[in-house]
Amino acid sequence: MRRMVLAAMWVTAALGASRAGAYPEFQAWVDGQTPRNVNCALCHAHGDGPDGVKPGQIGSLSPEQLAALNEARQAFEPGQQVDSPILNEFGDRMVEKLGRTGIIQLRQRPGDLPQAYGFESDLDGDGIPDAREYIDGTLATNAHHGDPWLLLRHNLKANWWHLVLIAIATLLGLYGINNLLAWFEQAIGGDEEAAEGEAGIMKFEIRNSKLETNSNSTILK
Amino acid sequence: MKTAQLVQTSLEFLTDRFPIEKMNVNSLVRTKEVPVHRMSWAYYLGGLALFLFLVQLVTGLMLMFYYEPTVSDAHASVERITEHIGGGALVRNLHTWSASAMIFAVVVHMLTAFAMKAFAKPREITWVSGVLLLLITFAFGFTGYLLPWHQIAVNATKVGLQSIEEAGAYLPGAMSAWPGALKELIQGEASVGQATLSRFYAIHVMVLPLAFFGVLSLHLLSVQLHGMSQGVDRPTGRTERFFPFFILKDAWLWGVVFLVLFVVALCLPFEAFFSYPLFEAYDAMGSTPDGIKPEWYFYFIYYPLELLPFWVIMLAQNAAIAVLLAAPWIFRKTSRRALGVITVAVATYLVVMTVFGQQIYEMFKGGA
Repeated sequence: MRRMVLAAMWVTAALGASRAGAYPEFQAWVDGQTPRNVNCALCHAHGDGPDGVKPGQIGSLSPEQLAALNEARQAFEPGQQVDSPILNEFGDRMVEKLGRTGIIQLRQRPGDLPQAYGFESDLDGDGIPDAREYIDGTLATNAHHGDPWLLLRHNLKANWWHLVLIAIATLLGLYGINNLLAWFEQAIGGDEEAAEGEAGIMKFEIRNSKLETNSNSTILK
Repeated sequence: MKTAQLVQTSLEFLTDRFPIEKMNVNSLVRTKEVPVHRMSWAYYLGGLALFLFLVQLVTGLMLMFYYEPTVSDAHASVERITEHIGGGALVRNLHTWSASAMIFAVVVHMLTAFAMKAFAKPREITWVSGVLLLLITFAFGFTGYLLPWHQIAVNATKVGLQSIEEAGAYLPGAMSAWPGALKELIQGEASVGQATLSRFYAIHVMVLPLAFFGVLSLHLLSVQLHGMSQGVDRPTGRTERFFPFFILKDAWLWGVVFLVLFVVALCLPFEAFFSYPLFEAYDAMGSTPDGIKPEWYFYFIYYPLELLPFWVIMLAQNAAIAVLLAAPWIFRKTSRRALGVITVAVATYLVVMTVFGQQIYEMFKGGA
Protein backbone atom coordinates (compact mmCIF):
# COMPACT_ATOMS: atom_id res chain seq x y z
CA MET A 1 0.00 0.00 0.00
CA ARG A 2 2.83 2.37 1.01
CA ARG A 3 4.59 1.60 -2.25
CA MET A 4 1.49 2.44 -4.22
CA VAL A 5 1.15 5.78 -2.42
CA LEU A 6 4.81 6.58 -3.12
CA ALA A 7 4.41 5.59 -6.76
CA ALA A 8 1.36 7.80 -7.04
CA MET A 9 3.27 10.71 -5.47
CA TRP A 10 6.16 10.19 -7.88
CA VAL A 11 3.85 10.11 -10.91
CA THR A 12 2.06 13.25 -9.69
CA ALA A 13 5.37 15.02 -9.19
CA ALA A 14 6.75 13.89 -12.53
CA LEU A 15 3.62 14.96 -14.39
CA GLY A 16 3.68 18.24 -12.52
CA ALA A 17 7.22 18.75 -13.64
CA SER A 18 6.42 18.28 -17.26
CA ARG A 19 3.52 20.69 -16.95
CA ALA A 20 5.02 23.48 -14.96
CA GLY A 21 8.25 22.31 -13.32
CA ALA A 22 10.69 24.12 -15.57
CA TYR A 23 10.21 27.42 -17.32
CA PRO A 24 12.81 27.68 -20.08
CA GLU A 25 11.50 31.09 -21.19
CA PHE A 26 13.47 32.75 -18.40
CA GLN A 27 16.67 30.97 -19.33
CA ALA A 28 16.18 31.84 -23.01
CA TRP A 29 15.66 35.52 -22.12
CA VAL A 30 18.82 35.65 -20.01
CA ASP A 31 20.76 33.85 -22.76
CA GLY A 32 19.77 36.56 -25.22
CA GLN A 33 20.51 39.29 -22.69
CA THR A 34 24.12 38.45 -21.82
CA PRO A 35 27.16 36.97 -23.59
CA ARG A 36 27.39 34.45 -20.76
CA ASN A 37 25.89 31.02 -21.24
CA VAL A 38 23.34 29.98 -18.65
CA ASN A 39 21.53 26.77 -17.86
CA CYS A 40 18.75 25.60 -15.57
CA ALA A 41 20.98 26.02 -12.49
CA LEU A 42 20.00 29.67 -12.63
CA CYS A 43 16.97 28.68 -10.51
CA HIS A 44 17.11 24.88 -10.29
CA ALA A 45 19.14 22.50 -8.16
CA HIS A 46 20.51 20.72 -11.22
CA GLY A 47 21.95 22.34 -14.33
CA ASP A 48 19.96 20.07 -16.63
CA GLY A 49 16.64 21.01 -15.01
CA PRO A 50 14.20 19.08 -12.86
CA ASP A 51 13.59 16.10 -15.15
CA GLY A 52 15.91 13.16 -14.68
CA VAL A 53 17.34 10.92 -12.01
CA LYS A 54 20.42 12.87 -10.94
CA PRO A 55 20.75 14.68 -7.62
CA GLY A 56 18.33 17.59 -7.52
CA GLN A 57 16.13 16.05 -10.19
CA ILE A 58 12.71 14.52 -9.63
CA GLY A 59 13.73 10.95 -10.35
CA SER A 60 16.23 11.00 -7.50
CA LEU A 61 13.93 12.34 -4.80
CA SER A 62 13.18 10.41 -1.63
CA PRO A 63 9.57 10.11 -0.42
CA GLU A 64 10.18 12.96 2.03
CA GLN A 65 11.58 15.15 -0.72
CA LEU A 66 8.66 14.30 -2.98
CA ALA A 67 6.34 15.40 -0.22
CA ALA A 68 8.32 18.65 0.09
CA LEU A 69 8.09 19.12 -3.67
CA ASN A 70 4.34 18.67 -3.65
CA GLU A 71 4.06 21.12 -0.79
CA ALA A 72 6.18 23.67 -2.65
CA ARG A 73 3.94 23.27 -5.65
CA GLN A 74 0.97 24.44 -3.64
CA ALA A 75 2.55 27.88 -3.25
CA PHE A 76 0.40 29.55 -5.90
CA GLU A 77 0.20 32.86 -4.07
CA PRO A 78 3.12 35.02 -2.87
CA GLY A 79 4.23 34.98 0.76
CA GLN A 80 4.38 31.25 1.36
CA GLN A 81 7.63 29.77 2.54
CA VAL A 82 9.09 27.40 -0.06
CA ASP A 83 11.81 24.77 0.22
CA SER A 84 11.66 22.78 -3.00
CA PRO A 85 14.19 19.98 -3.50
CA ILE A 86 14.39 20.71 -7.24
CA LEU A 87 14.96 24.47 -6.92
CA ASN A 88 17.95 26.36 -5.62
CA GLU A 89 17.61 29.16 -3.08
CA PHE A 90 16.94 31.73 -5.78
CA GLY A 91 14.18 29.58 -7.28
CA ASP A 92 12.62 29.12 -3.84
CA ARG A 93 12.79 32.86 -3.13
CA MET A 94 11.22 33.60 -6.49
CA VAL A 95 8.25 31.37 -5.71
CA GLU A 96 7.97 32.92 -2.25
CA LYS A 97 7.95 36.45 -3.66
CA LEU A 98 5.84 35.97 -6.76
CA GLY A 99 3.93 32.77 -6.14
CA ARG A 100 3.67 30.13 -8.82
CA THR A 101 0.80 32.03 -10.41
CA GLY A 102 2.96 35.14 -10.74
CA ILE A 103 5.82 33.16 -12.25
CA ILE A 104 3.54 31.44 -14.74
CA GLN A 105 2.19 34.84 -15.80
CA LEU A 106 5.74 36.18 -16.24
CA ARG A 107 6.63 33.36 -18.62
CA GLN A 108 5.27 35.48 -21.46
CA ARG A 109 7.46 38.46 -20.50
CA PRO A 110 10.53 37.13 -18.67
CA GLY A 111 12.23 40.53 -18.94
CA ASP A 112 9.78 41.84 -16.33
CA LEU A 113 10.89 39.33 -13.73
CA PRO A 114 13.62 41.54 -12.17
CA GLN A 115 11.15 44.38 -11.52
CA ALA A 116 8.53 42.01 -10.16
CA TYR A 117 11.08 40.25 -7.94
CA GLY A 118 12.62 43.51 -6.76
CA PHE A 119 16.21 44.56 -6.22
CA GLU A 120 16.35 44.28 -2.43
CA SER A 121 17.22 40.60 -2.06
CA ASP A 122 20.87 39.50 -2.20
CA LEU A 123 20.88 35.83 -1.27
CA ASP A 124 24.62 35.21 -1.54
CA GLY A 125 25.63 38.52 0.05
CA ASP A 126 28.02 39.44 -2.75
CA GLY A 127 26.65 42.97 -2.98
CA ILE A 128 24.82 42.29 -6.25
CA PRO A 129 21.01 42.02 -6.01
CA ASP A 130 19.54 38.69 -7.14
CA ALA A 131 17.53 40.46 -9.84
CA ARG A 132 20.68 42.04 -11.24
CA GLU A 133 22.41 38.64 -11.23
CA TYR A 134 19.45 37.24 -13.18
CA ILE A 135 19.88 40.02 -15.78
CA ASP A 136 23.65 39.42 -15.95
CA GLY A 137 23.30 35.63 -16.19
CA THR A 138 25.35 35.08 -13.04
CA LEU A 139 24.53 32.86 -10.09
CA ALA A 140 22.46 34.58 -7.41
CA THR A 141 23.40 31.84 -4.96
CA ASN A 142 27.18 32.01 -5.35
CA ALA A 143 29.08 34.87 -3.73
CA HIS A 144 32.06 34.20 -6.00
CA HIS A 145 30.07 34.61 -9.18
CA GLY A 146 28.77 37.92 -10.47
CA ASP A 147 29.65 40.87 -12.64
CA PRO A 148 33.43 41.21 -12.02
CA TRP A 149 33.38 45.00 -11.74
CA LEU A 150 30.48 45.01 -9.25
CA LEU A 151 32.12 42.24 -7.23
CA LEU A 152 35.40 44.14 -7.13
CA ARG A 153 33.71 47.32 -5.90
CA HIS A 154 31.71 45.50 -3.26
CA ASN A 155 34.64 43.40 -2.03
CA LEU A 156 36.96 46.41 -1.86
CA LYS A 157 34.43 48.15 0.39
CA ALA A 158 33.76 45.04 2.45
CA ASN A 159 37.43 44.12 2.94
CA TRP A 160 39.11 47.52 3.21
CA TRP A 161 40.35 46.82 6.73
CA HIS A 162 41.99 43.54 5.65
CA LEU A 163 43.63 45.37 2.77
CA VAL A 164 45.00 48.08 5.05
CA LEU A 165 46.38 45.42 7.40
CA ILE A 166 48.04 43.45 4.62
CA ALA A 167 49.55 46.65 3.20
CA ILE A 168 51.00 47.53 6.63
CA ALA A 169 52.28 43.96 7.06
CA THR A 170 53.93 44.02 3.64
CA LEU A 171 55.58 47.38 4.29
CA LEU A 172 56.86 46.18 7.66
CA GLY A 173 58.16 43.02 6.03
CA LEU A 174 60.01 45.04 3.40
CA TYR A 175 61.42 47.31 6.09
CA GLY A 176 62.68 44.19 7.85
CA ILE A 177 64.22 42.83 4.64
CA ASN A 178 65.84 46.20 4.12
CA ASN A 179 67.58 45.97 7.49
CA LEU A 180 68.34 42.29 7.10
CA LEU A 181 70.15 42.97 3.84
CA ALA A 182 72.14 45.77 5.43
CA TRP A 183 73.15 43.48 8.28
CA PHE A 184 73.99 40.69 5.87
CA GLU A 185 76.11 42.98 3.76
CA GLN A 186 78.03 43.95 6.87
CA ALA A 187 78.37 40.32 7.86
CA ILE A 188 79.95 39.32 4.56
CA GLY A 189 82.25 42.34 4.70
CA GLY A 190 80.55 44.54 2.16
CA ASP A 191 80.50 48.29 2.09
CA GLU A 192 80.76 49.29 5.74
CA GLU A 193 78.97 52.55 5.22
CA ALA A 194 75.80 50.74 4.28
CA ALA A 195 75.71 48.77 7.48
CA GLU A 196 76.31 51.69 9.80
CA GLY A 197 73.31 52.88 11.78
CA GLU A 198 70.01 52.91 9.94
CA ALA A 199 69.83 51.14 6.63
CA GLY A 200 66.59 52.45 5.21
CA ILE A 201 65.60 52.18 1.60
CA MET A 202 66.28 55.89 1.07
CA LYS A 203 69.89 55.44 2.04
CA PHE A 204 70.24 52.55 -0.36
CA GLU A 205 68.65 54.55 -3.12
CA ILE A 206 71.01 57.50 -2.63
CA ARG A 207 74.03 55.23 -2.60
CA ASN A 208 72.67 53.41 -5.59
CA SER A 209 72.50 56.58 -7.64
CA LYS A 210 76.13 57.25 -6.75
CA LEU A 211 77.13 53.80 -7.83
CA GLU A 212 75.52 54.20 -11.20
CA THR A 213 78.54 56.25 -12.26
CA ASN A 214 80.84 53.28 -11.70
CA SER A 215 82.78 52.04 -14.68
CA ASN A 216 81.68 48.95 -16.50
CA SER A 217 82.27 45.73 -14.64
CA THR A 218 84.44 42.92 -15.90
CA ILE A 219 81.42 40.69 -15.52
CA LEU A 220 79.90 42.21 -18.64
CA LYS A 221 80.70 40.39 -21.82
CA MET B 1 90.62 10.71 -31.99
CA LYS B 2 87.26 12.21 -32.82
CA THR B 3 85.85 10.95 -29.53
CA ALA B 4 88.74 12.45 -27.64
CA GLN B 5 88.18 15.77 -29.39
CA LEU B 6 84.50 15.65 -28.61
CA VAL B 7 85.19 14.98 -24.95
CA GLN B 8 87.76 17.77 -24.89
CA THR B 9 85.34 20.24 -26.54
CA SER B 10 82.55 19.24 -24.17
CA LEU B 11 84.80 19.68 -21.17
CA GLU B 12 85.91 23.09 -22.37
CA PHE B 13 82.28 24.06 -22.96
CA LEU B 14 81.30 23.00 -19.44
CA THR B 15 84.37 24.60 -17.85
CA ASP B 16 83.51 27.92 -19.53
CA ARG B 17 79.89 27.68 -18.44
CA PHE B 18 80.60 26.55 -14.88
CA PRO B 19 83.85 28.23 -13.89
CA ILE B 20 84.80 26.81 -10.51
CA GLU B 21 86.85 29.88 -9.62
CA LYS B 22 83.66 31.95 -9.65
CA MET B 23 81.73 29.65 -7.34
CA ASN B 24 82.19 31.68 -4.19
CA VAL B 25 80.21 34.31 -2.32
CA ASN B 26 82.52 37.02 -3.51
CA SER B 27 81.84 36.42 -7.19
CA LEU B 28 78.25 35.27 -6.90
CA VAL B 29 77.07 37.99 -4.53
CA ARG B 30 79.50 40.65 -3.34
CA THR B 31 81.13 41.83 -6.54
CA LYS B 32 78.35 41.05 -8.98
CA GLU B 33 77.23 44.08 -10.98
CA VAL B 34 74.05 44.60 -12.97
CA PRO B 35 74.11 46.78 -16.10
CA VAL B 36 71.94 49.90 -16.05
CA HIS B 37 70.29 50.97 -19.31
CA ARG B 38 66.88 51.56 -20.89
CA MET B 39 65.98 47.86 -20.73
CA SER B 40 67.12 47.33 -17.12
CA TRP B 41 63.54 46.81 -15.96
CA ALA B 42 63.55 43.49 -17.79
CA TYR B 43 66.17 42.12 -15.37
CA TYR B 44 63.48 41.98 -12.67
CA LEU B 45 61.12 39.70 -14.62
CA GLY B 46 62.99 36.50 -13.81
CA GLY B 47 62.88 37.29 -10.09
CA LEU B 48 59.20 38.13 -10.43
CA ALA B 49 58.50 34.78 -12.07
CA LEU B 50 60.39 33.10 -9.22
CA PHE B 51 58.32 34.98 -6.64
CA LEU B 52 55.08 33.95 -8.34
CA PHE B 53 56.30 30.37 -8.39
CA LEU B 54 56.87 30.58 -4.64
CA VAL B 55 53.31 31.88 -4.22
CA GLN B 56 52.15 28.89 -6.26
CA LEU B 57 54.14 26.57 -4.07
CA VAL B 58 52.79 27.90 -0.77
CA THR B 59 49.15 28.23 -1.89
CA GLY B 60 49.34 24.87 -3.70
CA LEU B 61 50.56 23.22 -0.52
CA MET B 62 47.67 24.77 1.40
CA LEU B 63 45.17 23.53 -1.19
CA MET B 64 46.64 20.03 -0.97
CA PHE B 65 45.51 19.81 2.65
CA TYR B 66 41.87 19.78 1.53
CA TYR B 67 41.83 18.78 -2.12
CA GLU B 68 40.79 15.19 -2.88
CA PRO B 69 42.06 13.86 -6.22
CA THR B 70 39.19 11.48 -7.02
CA VAL B 71 36.59 11.95 -9.72
CA SER B 72 33.83 11.55 -7.17
CA ASP B 73 35.18 14.09 -4.66
CA ALA B 74 37.50 16.46 -6.51
CA HIS B 75 34.84 18.99 -7.48
CA ALA B 76 33.13 18.80 -4.09
CA SER B 77 36.45 19.28 -2.30
CA VAL B 78 37.21 22.38 -4.37
CA GLU B 79 33.73 23.73 -3.58
CA ARG B 80 34.36 22.96 0.08
CA ILE B 81 37.65 24.85 -0.02
CA THR B 82 35.94 27.83 -1.64
CA GLU B 83 32.76 27.90 0.41
CA HIS B 84 33.50 26.39 3.80
CA ILE B 85 37.20 26.49 4.64
CA GLY B 86 38.33 29.72 6.31
CA GLY B 87 40.44 31.68 3.85
CA GLY B 88 39.96 28.91 1.29
CA ALA B 89 38.54 31.18 -1.40
CA LEU B 90 41.42 33.60 -0.92
CA VAL B 91 44.06 30.88 -1.16
CA ARG B 92 42.42 29.33 -4.19
CA ASN B 93 42.15 32.70 -5.90
CA LEU B 94 45.77 33.48 -5.04
CA HIS B 95 46.76 30.16 -6.60
CA THR B 96 44.72 30.78 -9.75
CA TRP B 97 45.64 34.44 -10.26
CA SER B 98 49.32 33.88 -9.51
CA ALA B 99 49.37 30.97 -11.98
CA SER B 100 48.22 33.32 -14.72
CA ALA B 101 50.59 36.04 -13.53
CA MET B 102 53.48 33.58 -13.45
CA ILE B 103 52.89 32.47 -17.02
CA PHE B 104 52.63 36.10 -18.10
CA ALA B 105 55.89 36.96 -16.28
CA VAL B 106 57.71 33.93 -17.69
CA VAL B 107 56.66 34.69 -21.27
CA VAL B 108 57.60 38.38 -21.00
CA HIS B 109 60.88 37.35 -19.34
CA MET B 110 61.65 35.06 -22.26
CA LEU B 111 60.77 37.71 -24.84
CA THR B 112 62.90 40.40 -23.21
CA ALA B 113 65.80 37.99 -22.67
CA PHE B 114 65.60 37.12 -26.37
CA ALA B 115 65.51 40.79 -27.40
CA MET B 116 68.52 41.51 -25.16
CA LYS B 117 70.41 38.54 -26.64
CA ALA B 118 70.79 37.11 -23.18
CA PHE B 119 71.50 33.71 -24.74
CA ALA B 120 74.86 34.76 -26.20
CA LYS B 121 77.99 32.94 -25.11
CA PRO B 122 78.60 32.01 -22.26
CA ARG B 123 74.90 32.08 -21.30
CA GLU B 124 73.63 29.25 -23.52
CA ILE B 125 72.80 27.06 -20.53
CA THR B 126 70.95 29.92 -18.84
CA TRP B 127 68.82 30.27 -21.96
CA VAL B 128 68.16 26.57 -22.57
CA SER B 129 67.26 26.01 -18.92
CA GLY B 130 64.97 29.05 -19.17
CA VAL B 131 63.17 27.56 -22.16
CA LEU B 132 62.76 24.31 -20.23
CA LEU B 133 61.30 26.26 -17.31
CA LEU B 134 58.86 27.90 -19.72
CA LEU B 135 57.73 24.49 -20.99
CA ILE B 136 57.42 23.16 -17.44
CA THR B 137 55.35 26.22 -16.51
CA PHE B 138 52.95 25.51 -19.37
CA ALA B 139 52.79 21.88 -18.23
CA PHE B 140 51.88 23.14 -14.75
CA GLY B 141 49.03 25.09 -16.30
CA PHE B 142 47.79 22.15 -18.37
CA THR B 143 47.86 19.61 -15.54
CA GLY B 144 46.47 22.00 -12.92
CA TYR B 145 43.52 22.91 -15.12
CA LEU B 146 42.03 19.41 -14.82
CA LEU B 147 42.18 19.14 -11.04
CA PRO B 148 38.92 20.95 -10.10
CA TRP B 149 37.15 18.35 -12.27
CA HIS B 150 34.53 20.73 -13.57
CA GLN B 151 33.03 20.85 -17.05
CA ILE B 152 35.55 23.18 -18.67
CA ALA B 153 38.48 21.39 -17.02
CA VAL B 154 37.62 17.89 -18.19
CA ASN B 155 36.37 18.84 -21.64
CA ALA B 156 39.33 21.13 -22.39
CA THR B 157 41.73 18.41 -21.22
CA LYS B 158 40.00 15.93 -23.53
CA VAL B 159 40.56 18.29 -26.45
CA GLY B 160 44.20 18.80 -25.47
CA LEU B 161 44.89 15.06 -25.16
CA GLN B 162 43.03 14.35 -28.38
CA SER B 163 45.34 16.70 -30.25
CA ILE B 164 48.34 14.62 -29.10
CA GLU B 165 46.83 11.52 -30.66
CA GLU B 166 46.01 13.34 -33.89
CA ALA B 167 49.70 14.00 -34.41
CA GLY B 168 50.11 10.29 -35.18
CA ALA B 169 48.36 10.70 -38.54
CA TYR B 170 51.27 12.82 -39.77
CA LEU B 171 54.08 10.53 -38.71
CA PRO B 172 55.50 7.76 -40.88
CA GLY B 173 55.41 4.01 -40.24
CA ALA B 174 55.63 2.73 -36.70
CA MET B 175 56.14 6.26 -35.43
CA SER B 176 52.48 6.99 -36.12
CA ALA B 177 51.57 4.93 -33.07
CA TRP B 178 53.79 6.91 -30.70
CA PRO B 179 51.51 9.90 -30.07
CA GLY B 180 48.60 7.55 -29.34
CA ALA B 181 50.77 5.63 -26.89
CA LEU B 182 51.88 8.89 -25.30
CA LYS B 183 48.29 10.02 -24.94
CA GLU B 184 47.35 6.70 -23.32
CA LEU B 185 50.33 6.98 -21.01
CA ILE B 186 49.23 10.42 -19.86
CA GLN B 187 45.54 9.57 -19.82
CA GLY B 188 45.95 6.22 -18.10
CA GLU B 189 42.75 4.71 -19.49
CA ALA B 190 40.50 4.70 -22.54
CA SER B 191 38.96 8.10 -21.75
CA VAL B 192 39.65 10.88 -19.29
CA GLY B 193 38.80 9.43 -15.88
CA GLN B 194 40.20 8.55 -12.46
CA ALA B 195 43.52 7.33 -13.84
CA THR B 196 43.94 10.61 -15.72
CA LEU B 197 43.13 12.66 -12.64
CA SER B 198 45.56 10.64 -10.51
CA ARG B 199 48.33 11.04 -13.07
CA PHE B 200 47.73 14.74 -13.61
CA TYR B 201 47.69 15.28 -9.86
CA ALA B 202 50.95 13.36 -9.36
CA ILE B 203 52.56 15.21 -12.25
CA HIS B 204 51.27 18.58 -11.02
CA VAL B 205 52.27 18.29 -7.37
CA MET B 206 55.35 16.08 -7.55
CA VAL B 207 56.95 15.51 -10.95
CA LEU B 208 56.78 19.07 -12.26
CA PRO B 209 57.85 20.80 -9.03
CA LEU B 210 60.88 18.48 -8.76
CA ALA B 211 61.78 19.08 -12.39
CA PHE B 212 61.22 22.81 -11.89
CA PHE B 213 63.50 22.92 -8.85
CA GLY B 214 66.24 21.04 -10.68
CA VAL B 215 66.16 23.19 -13.80
CA LEU B 216 65.67 26.37 -11.76
CA SER B 217 68.79 25.62 -9.71
CA LEU B 218 70.79 25.26 -12.92
CA HIS B 219 69.23 28.45 -14.31
CA LEU B 220 69.94 30.53 -11.19
CA LEU B 221 73.48 29.20 -10.81
CA SER B 222 74.17 30.03 -14.42
CA VAL B 223 72.67 33.52 -14.03
CA GLN B 224 74.82 34.20 -10.97
CA LEU B 225 77.99 32.80 -12.53
CA HIS B 226 77.77 34.85 -15.70
CA GLY B 227 75.76 37.82 -14.49
CA MET B 228 73.12 39.61 -16.52
CA SER B 229 73.85 40.08 -20.21
CA GLN B 230 74.71 43.62 -21.28
CA GLY B 231 71.20 43.85 -22.75
CA VAL B 232 71.79 46.56 -25.35
CA ASP B 233 74.18 46.86 -28.30
CA ARG B 234 75.77 50.01 -26.90
CA PRO B 235 76.36 49.60 -23.15
CA THR B 236 75.99 52.74 -21.07
CA GLY B 237 78.87 51.71 -18.86
CA ARG B 238 76.68 52.27 -15.83
CA THR B 239 76.18 49.42 -13.41
CA GLU B 240 74.68 48.83 -9.99
CA ARG B 241 75.68 46.35 -7.38
CA PHE B 242 73.65 43.16 -7.35
CA PHE B 243 73.86 42.97 -3.58
CA PRO B 244 72.21 44.68 -1.87
CA PHE B 245 70.70 47.20 -4.33
CA PHE B 246 69.33 44.96 -7.07
CA ILE B 247 68.11 42.43 -4.51
CA LEU B 248 66.44 45.19 -2.53
CA LYS B 249 64.62 46.53 -5.55
CA ASP B 250 63.59 42.95 -6.35
CA ALA B 251 62.16 42.62 -2.84
CA TRP B 252 60.18 45.84 -3.22
CA LEU B 253 58.82 44.69 -6.54
CA TRP B 254 57.81 41.39 -4.95
CA GLY B 255 56.10 43.31 -2.15
CA VAL B 256 54.12 45.47 -4.56
CA VAL B 257 53.16 42.48 -6.71
CA PHE B 258 52.10 40.55 -3.62
CA LEU B 259 49.86 43.42 -2.55
CA VAL B 260 48.26 43.68 -5.98
CA LEU B 261 47.82 39.92 -6.11
CA PHE B 262 46.28 39.88 -2.65
CA VAL B 263 43.79 42.63 -3.52
CA VAL B 264 42.82 40.89 -6.75
CA ALA B 265 42.52 37.47 -5.08
CA LEU B 266 40.42 38.84 -2.23
CA CYS B 267 38.14 41.04 -4.30
CA LEU B 268 37.94 39.51 -7.76
CA PRO B 269 37.08 35.80 -7.94
CA PHE B 270 38.65 34.28 -11.05
CA GLU B 271 35.48 32.38 -11.92
CA ALA B 272 33.43 35.57 -12.14
CA PHE B 273 34.80 36.07 -15.66
CA PHE B 274 33.25 32.85 -16.95
CA SER B 275 29.80 31.38 -17.42
CA TYR B 276 28.85 29.39 -14.35
CA PRO B 277 27.82 26.16 -16.19
CA LEU B 278 31.50 25.72 -17.05
CA PHE B 279 32.27 25.28 -13.36
CA GLU B 280 29.65 22.68 -12.57
CA ALA B 281 30.88 19.20 -11.68
CA TYR B 282 31.81 17.22 -14.76
CA ASP B 283 29.07 14.83 -15.76
CA ALA B 284 29.98 12.29 -18.44
CA MET B 285 26.29 11.61 -19.13
CA GLY B 286 25.17 15.23 -18.97
CA SER B 287 25.13 17.99 -21.55
CA THR B 288 28.39 19.76 -22.41
CA PRO B 289 28.08 23.50 -21.86
CA ASP B 290 29.04 25.98 -24.55
CA GLY B 291 32.31 27.89 -24.31
CA ILE B 292 34.75 25.04 -23.60
CA LYS B 293 38.21 26.52 -24.09
CA PRO B 294 41.66 26.10 -22.63
CA GLU B 295 43.14 28.72 -20.29
CA TRP B 296 43.90 32.12 -21.87
CA TYR B 297 47.61 31.38 -22.08
CA PHE B 298 46.95 28.61 -24.59
CA TYR B 299 44.85 30.81 -26.90
CA PHE B 300 47.90 31.55 -29.06
CA ILE B 301 47.88 27.92 -30.13
CA TYR B 302 44.19 27.06 -29.56
CA TYR B 303 42.66 29.49 -32.08
CA PRO B 304 45.13 28.68 -34.88
CA LEU B 305 44.39 25.02 -34.14
CA GLU B 306 40.70 25.72 -34.72
CA LEU B 307 41.36 27.61 -37.94
CA LEU B 308 44.27 25.89 -39.67
CA PRO B 309 45.04 22.27 -40.59
CA PHE B 310 46.42 20.32 -37.68
CA TRP B 311 49.70 19.50 -39.38
CA VAL B 312 50.48 23.20 -39.87
CA ILE B 313 50.13 23.88 -36.16
CA MET B 314 52.05 20.75 -35.21
CA LEU B 315 54.88 21.73 -37.51
CA ALA B 316 54.90 25.33 -36.34
CA GLN B 317 54.80 24.32 -32.69
CA ASN B 318 57.66 21.85 -32.96
CA ALA B 319 59.68 24.28 -35.07
CA ALA B 320 59.10 27.05 -32.51
CA ILE B 321 60.30 24.84 -29.65
CA ALA B 322 63.35 23.73 -31.65
CA VAL B 323 64.20 27.34 -32.58
CA LEU B 324 63.79 28.43 -28.97
CA LEU B 325 66.10 25.71 -27.69
CA ALA B 326 68.68 26.35 -30.40
CA ALA B 327 68.42 30.16 -30.29
CA PRO B 328 71.97 30.66 -28.89
CA TRP B 329 73.41 29.02 -31.99
CA ILE B 330 70.84 30.12 -34.60
CA PHE B 331 70.96 33.82 -33.64
CA ARG B 332 74.63 33.91 -32.66
CA LYS B 333 75.47 36.66 -35.11
CA THR B 334 72.14 38.48 -35.11
CA SER B 335 72.17 42.03 -33.77
CA ARG B 336 70.03 43.02 -30.82
CA ARG B 337 68.17 45.41 -33.09
CA ALA B 338 67.10 42.53 -35.36
CA LEU B 339 66.23 40.41 -32.33
CA GLY B 340 64.13 43.29 -31.06
CA VAL B 341 62.13 43.34 -34.30
CA ILE B 342 61.53 39.57 -34.08
CA THR B 343 60.47 39.96 -30.44
CA VAL B 344 57.97 42.70 -31.27
CA ALA B 345 56.50 40.54 -34.04
CA VAL B 346 56.15 37.52 -31.75
CA ALA B 347 54.74 39.64 -28.91
CA THR B 348 52.20 41.19 -31.29
CA TYR B 349 51.09 37.75 -32.43
CA LEU B 350 50.72 36.54 -28.83
CA VAL B 351 48.75 39.62 -27.74
CA VAL B 352 46.48 39.62 -30.81
CA MET B 353 45.71 35.90 -30.52
CA THR B 354 45.11 36.12 -26.79
CA VAL B 355 42.95 39.23 -26.82
CA PHE B 356 41.23 39.01 -30.21
CA GLY B 357 41.45 35.26 -30.88
CA GLN B 358 37.70 34.75 -30.51
CA GLN B 359 36.87 37.59 -32.91
CA ILE B 360 39.39 36.31 -35.45
CA TYR B 361 37.91 32.83 -35.14
CA GLU B 362 34.38 34.14 -35.67
CA MET B 363 35.51 36.27 -38.59
CA PHE B 364 36.86 33.22 -40.44
CA LYS B 365 34.36 30.63 -39.25
CA GLY B 366 31.31 32.87 -39.29
CA GLY B 367 30.11 32.63 -35.68
CA ALA B 368 31.09 30.86 -32.52
